[in-house]
Parts: sequence; structure tokens; C-alpha cells
Amino acid sequence: MISAPYRRNPWILAGGLWLGLAYAFMFLPLVVLVLFSFQKNRFPGFPLQGFTLQWYDKLFSDGTLLKALGNTMVVSPAAATVATVIAFFAAYAFNRFTFRGKTTFLALVTLPILIPPLILGVGFLGLLARLHLSGTLFAVFLTHVVLITAPALAIIQLRLAQMPAALEEAAWDLGATEWQAVTKVVLPFALPGIFGAWLLAFTFSFDEFIIAWFVSGFQPTLPVAIYSVLVAAIDPSLNAIGTIVFGISCLVLIGLELVLLPLLVGRPDNQS
Amino acid sequence: MTNTASPSKRLKTPNDSPLKILFLAPLGLWLAVLFLLPLAFLLWIGFWRVENFQAVPAFSFGNYAEIFASFFSKSRYGLALVQSLWVAITTAAVATILSYLVALSIAFAVPGRWQRLALLLAVAPFWSSYVLRLYSWQTILSRNGVINSVLKQVGLSDYRIDIIYTQIATRIGLIHYLAPILIVILYVSILAIDKVLIEAARELGCTRWQAFTRVILPLSRFGLMTAASFAVIVSLGDALSGNLLGGGAGASIIGKLPTYASMIMSDYSSSTNLPRTSALATILIAVMVLALAFGFVATDRAHRRTS
Repeated sequence: MISAPYRRNPWILAGGLWLGLAYAFMFLPLVVLVLFSFQKNRFPGFPLQGFTLQWYDKLFSDGTLLKALGNTMVVSPAAATVATVIAFFAAYAFNRFTFRGKTTFLALVTLPILIPPLILGVGFLGLLARLHLSGTLFAVFLTHVVLITAPALAIIQLRLAQMPAALEEAAWDLGATEWQAVTKVVLPFALPGIFGAWLLAFTFSFDEFIIAWFVSGFQPTLPVAIYSVLVAAIDPSLNAIGTIVFGISCLVLIGLELVLLPLLVGRPDNQS
Repeated sequence: MTNTASPSKRLKTPNDSPLKILFLAPLGLWLAVLFLLPLAFLLWIGFWRVENFQAVPAFSFGNYAEIFASFFSKSRYGLALVQSLWVAITTAAVATILSYLVALSIAFAVPGRWQRLALLLAVAPFWSSYVLRLYSWQTILSRNGVINSVLKQVGLSDYRIDIIYTQIATRIGLIHYLAPILIVILYVSILAIDKVLIEAARELGCTRWQAFTRVILPLSRFGLMTAASFAVIVSLGDALSGNLLGGGAGASIIGKLPTYASMIMSDYSSSTNLPRTSALATILIAVMVLALAFGFVATDRAHRRTS
């Protein structure tokens, strides 16, 4: 697509320049977060005042944010796992069967990510308060599953759509039951998609704020706890927890890059 | 989501199997109980009453009457709604244009084998926590924050950027949140354009600019519309950026007013009047449906005029 004579073209140059600016804008907050987590300044600004680990120290001795991180690390993996299981079953059914109302069903699945979480949060609170479930981590788990099933389903469907139908048919012809074909042929084939879906679902739940704000009560997830610290005062330990969270995200991102992007944009060699 | 294989390829698959219902049931149940039911509840609770700080089932238009009675005066929900629409639409426009330029740059200015890395870099910030990114923007934009202290250091202390706790700061936070998603949507839609068309245009004597305005831009219209409406919906529903960067009631051309989403959040946390909060949320749903319908009609008209 891009050939040699493109090189010294002003448009290409402008594009490269714009890309550089865009990256600077995108990464500025992350750089600032990490930089000031190691700085002595109470109020982040220049000139820099030297290296310190006191904010990490404060973070670990204080414990509120770590407890919230713990809450999140319970809820998000659980929600991601349940959502991925539900999504795999549904993706398989959508991929293999035809039935009336399929399009409507698919649209209905997508709806939870299109409706603003703020509205869903109020709705969840209304229902869960009636069921005396609000204010618990279990409530956050229940509601997050709804929210993150659609992205997980989309990823797994993408993977299953790449599976030749003959693969499964061969298994049936060789005497496998339908269930055996699912567990021994379809599941292994879908595994990268399932892994990618889990990671995506996990990150969506990990970062979800407003629903958790409405339903979590006195067991806040990490974003909710960070928010309540934030509105109270400037606290550089937020930089420290931010750096830790950023580290976790980097791990997830590497996982996603290895699994998800090849599924989404295709391999680089069949693009050109 | 709908890219299931075409039925012709799947003729040999038996369609009647217990797995069909068994596999769809968990999703259906979860959606019915924990998505449709809460939404129905939201609409219903809007008509409840509050007695002794307890929400009581009833059917009255009291909440709506109360809200609309002070729509532009005391509680100024209406002005917050106008503020929200103003912020959301301008944010969506700016974010979509900037992201489109990024997507174009990745697709045309980056050599093929580096494109995936370029896209990954653009998406990477999305995987850091939104609340923390907003906190970081606070430290960057605040009065004695990163930008202003840098300006002071380099001897430009006469200039200072004073946009923290204005809706401009709100927009910066929103654009930073939206950009990765918009870039992916727009990049995919540019990628879907048949390269042969662009090459043909160039070979027939189009300049690069003409190839862009006559081939690439019209063919990415659908992606642009998707991106823009997504940005409007997200911006309308987001309270975080307005609360943390806009400082609740951020200054703007319209005045020092919060966005509607911020107002719903603060209204609930100060009163815990769930029926009224539900009514406010219902009004937001109505506004969003209207905004989407308006956008749909507008693009449909534009589409008919050009084709």
C-alpha cells in the first residue's frame, strides 16, 4: 500500500508529525503519573525535587486503596470469568444455529454497552435495593457481568467465524457427540479468542466506575475508592497506586496485543 | 457482532439440537433479569414517591412535575441539560476530527508493517484507569500544575493556562478518554476502503487532496458518523470528567453550570431520593434517543443529497 515514492511527501510528513503530537497528548498523563509517584513534591509541578518512595510507603501503610484494589481483584476476575463462559456458549449458538429473532437477540446483547453506565447504575440500584443486594461486592459482580458480556461475545464470535464448519462436521462423522465436538474441537480452536475475551472483559470491569459507585456501598472497588480520595484532597499516593494499576494494565495490554489484535486487524503481512 | 458465517456454508449443520436453547439460556436469563428488569424498574421508580426517606411504590407524576417546575430556575436541571448537550456535541466534533486525522496518519503515513504497532500505541492509554487519568490531567492543568510550572520555569510567568474547573478541561478529559476508541473505529473504516479505488483515482490524475475529498472521505462517512454518535452518547453519560476536571459546575460559554450527568450524581449523593434520580435518568434517556434520531435523520439527508 505504501510504496517508495511516498517518502519525501509533505502530506506524509504532516501525518507523521500529527501522529507524534497525538502520542504526546495520549501519553502525557501516564508519564506525569509515573514521574510524580517518585517525586518529593507534595503538589506536583516543576522543578522536580528528587526521588522518593514515600508515597508508596504511605499507600501501603494506609491500606484503604489497597483494600479497594483487593475488592476489585476479587470482583473483576469473577465477573470476567462468568461473562466469558456465558459469552462462549452464546457465541457458539449464534455461530452455529439459525433461529428466529437472532438479530434482535444480538442487538439486545449489544445494548448494555450502548446505554450509558450512569443510567444503568441508577436502574441497577433501583432493582438491587428492592432485593436488598445493593451495597455489596456481589451486586457489583452481578451488574458487571451484564456490562462485559457483549465485548467478550464479540471477540469470541470473531474467532468462531474463522473456524471452518467442516472441522466440527468431521468430528461428528467420526462419531463424536455434539457436546464432545464442542469441548474437543470448538473449544480448543476458540481458546485464543476466549483468552482475549477474558482479558478485555476483565479490563472493562476493572476500570468501571459509575455502576460500582451506585451499587458498591461500603465495599468500594478501586476506581470508586480513588474517586473518593480525589474529591477530598490532593494525595500523591494516588500517583503510586496509579503506577501500580498502570503496571497491571501493561501486562493485560501485552496479553491482548498477543491475542486480540491479530484477530481484529489481521496479520500485518496480509494487509499490504 | 453480526459477522456470523453465511447460511450457505452451514447447510450441513443440524439446526435442531438441545444445545441451541441450552447455550443461549444463560445469556438470555442474565439479560432479562439483570438488564431489562433494572431498566424497566428505572422507568417505573420514576413514578414512585418518597415518604420518611423511603421510596414507596406509587404512580404519580410528582417527580416529573417537581423537576420540570424548577427546570430552568432553582435546581436548573434544564440548564444543566443544555450545558451537557453543548459540551457533548462540541467534544464529539473535536474528538472525531482529531481521531480521524490520527487514523488517516496511521493508515497512510505509517509503513504497512509498523501500522499495528502504531495502532497499539494509540490504543494503549485506554487500558489505564480513567479516574487516574483524570487525576493526572488535574495535576497537569491545575493552577500551579505541570503546565503552569513549566511556563514559569522557562520564564513565561506572564502566561498561565487557567482552564482547570472549566468545561474546556472537561472536554480535554473526555477527548483523552474517547480518542483510543474513536481511532480504532475510524482506522477500521479506513482499512475497509478498497485500495484499488484510491489507486485508480490517483492514476486517473487526481491529486492526493482530490483522492482524499472524493474517495476516502465519502467512503469513511459511515465510520465518522458511528464515531461521532458514540462520542456524543459517551460524553452525555459521563460524569467523571465533569466532576474532576470541570470541578462540578465548570465555567463555560453557557455559564457556571454542571453537566447533566454530574447533576444526577450529585443529586443522588446529596438526597438519596431514588425516585427523583430515576426520573432524571429517564429524561436523559429521552434526550439521548432524540439526539440519536436527530443525528440519524441529518445523516440520512446528507447521504441522499450527495448520492
